[in-house]
Amino acid sequence: MMDNGLLVQMLLSALLGLSVYLPLAAGQLSLATPAFYAVGGTLAALLSTRWPLLGAGADGSFPLVSLLLELLLGGVLAGVLALLVGRLVLRLQGIYLAISTIALVEIVRVAILNLPFTGGAVGIFAIPQPFASAAGYLLPALALLALAGWLCHRLESMPLGRAMAAIRDDELAARCIGIDTTATKLSALVLSAALAGSTGALAAHFLNTWNARQGSFEVSVTTLAFVILGGSRTWLGPVVGGLLLTALPELLRPLGDVRLVLFGLVILLGPVLFPQGLITPALLERLGGRRRPRVEP
Amino acid sequence: MSNAPALLEVCELSCRFGGLVALDRLSFAVRAGEIFGVIGPNGAGKTTLFNLISGVTPASGGTVRWRGEPIATLPPHQRNRLGIARTFQNLRLFDGLSVLENLLVALQRQPRSSTRAGLLHGPSHQRAERQRLERAWQLLEELGLRQLAERQAGTLAYGDRRRLEIARALATRPAMLLLDEPAAGLNPVEKEGLAELIGELRARHQLTLLVIEHHVPLLMRLCDRMAVLDFGVRIALGTPEQVRRDPKVIEAYLGGAS
Repeated sequence: MMDNGLLVQMLLSALLGLSVYLPLAAGQLSLATPAFYAVGGTLAALLSTRWPLLGAGADGSFPLVSLLLELLLGGVLAGVLALLVGRLVLRLQGIYLAISTIALVEIVRVAILNLPFTGGAVGIFAIPQPFASAAGYLLPALALLALAGWLCHRLESMPLGRAMAAIRDDELAARCIGIDTTATKLSALVLSAALAGSTGALAAHFLNTWNARQGSFEVSVTTLAFVILGGSRTWLGPVVGGLLLTALPELLRPLGDVRLVLFGLVILLGPVLFPQGLITPALLERLGGRRRPRVEP
Repeated sequence: MSNAPALLEVCELSCRFGGLVALDRLSFAVRAGEIFGVIGPNGAGKTTLFNLISGVTPASGGTVRWRGEPIATLPPHQRNRLGIARTFQNLRLFDGLSVLENLLVALQRQPRSSTRAGLLHGPSHQRAERQRLERAWQLLEELGLRQLAERQAGTLAYGDRRRLEIARALATRPAMLLLDEPAAGLNPVEKEGLAELIGELRARHQLTLLVIEHHVPLLMRLCDRMAVLDFGVRIALGTPEQVRRDPKVIEAYLGGAS
């Protein structure tokens, strides 16, 4: 019932969930993740189909090293874009920031739709494949998720992560204890963008075709749902949310059209029954998974 | 003492919100090592003054000098790094974090450590973390919060929250601490303790203190000098003894006959 293709898709969703989580961990509601995802995906699609140096074979094959290079480039390009845009939009707060990031998603989508070299509405197709089957994508997707999870985990005991948590709780107080809130928020957005960019590069190969619809406002809403259902207080929340909400429609497929109703119910009841999300720090503490800073005598 | 150089100098400082003049060309200087009090009726502009000094609100006119250098254009975090820390009248803790984490956030530059070392959990990061933890525990001890270290800050009792906010401000190693109504909401016993605590902290951390307080007797006892504000204007400045006898102060507090 759960094939490898679905598993890869679940992992990609978890990655996008983390991308939404990172700015949120610094109290910034950014819906720009699809824009950065689209930038990474488009870059990978263009490079692998137009740039023979990467070594795409005539039979549609693609060297693994080139894929890794694309993941890196996709992350860097999205990160640079976030750095430029972030300086402007991070002056805004709350709902105004959210709206301006939706605008960014639209701008990127329309740009990809209309640029002369991105294939218009059809997009870019026949993107070469580094792996013979969907199962091959499991490893890079898992590796990327492990890297992102490790980053989020380390952040919790680092000055940057603590500064983010402080800003989420009280930005004014954070500024008054010497935290450069602008730089901190920008760092969080750049990390979020780099992660989405790399994820996009991987997704472009996995999906085989890429077009402007991959980074639409709809994706903003879906990825936000991952975080809301999973919980935004720990990085495991959006991972679980992404895995679950991507798997659910497929797992419910045998039920026929009722599955759409059930899916809607989960989206609706999730936040009602678990207002803080499924995974909360308190839950992790009960399970003994999360350690507070060590108590010195 | 009177010849000590001014640590903080406020010169002709003004702040207007639309037509409302919250502070009107206020001037005074705080010398290194002294406890300087600011009193005045509600709406006199005391908290506005703190917001201007800490950089939270931009001034409409005038200058603020720190060790002789103008700082009016610096953002709050840079003023804090120069040595100015503050507390808030309506307590602004990081409620979602533990008591210990509240201090660790403030200690992030004491000492500094590189992001790379932090990511890799390298030895320099571990050493810096150890030093931060040590200092955090020391501050918790000093303010009697040791038992509460693991508690979430939002769940603390009011008096403990007040002391945690002071500890958090001290964690940034300030030369000057601005206390905004530190006795507000405390019971008489706690108020007694607070006066003692402020004296101790000043000695141990070589602090200069600027204190806003409604509880005038407490401030009279605590301060070396004080300023009295009324409707954004300084109406008196001097030792508590001089201020107490000032007819303008008596009028502001008790109401004029006319």
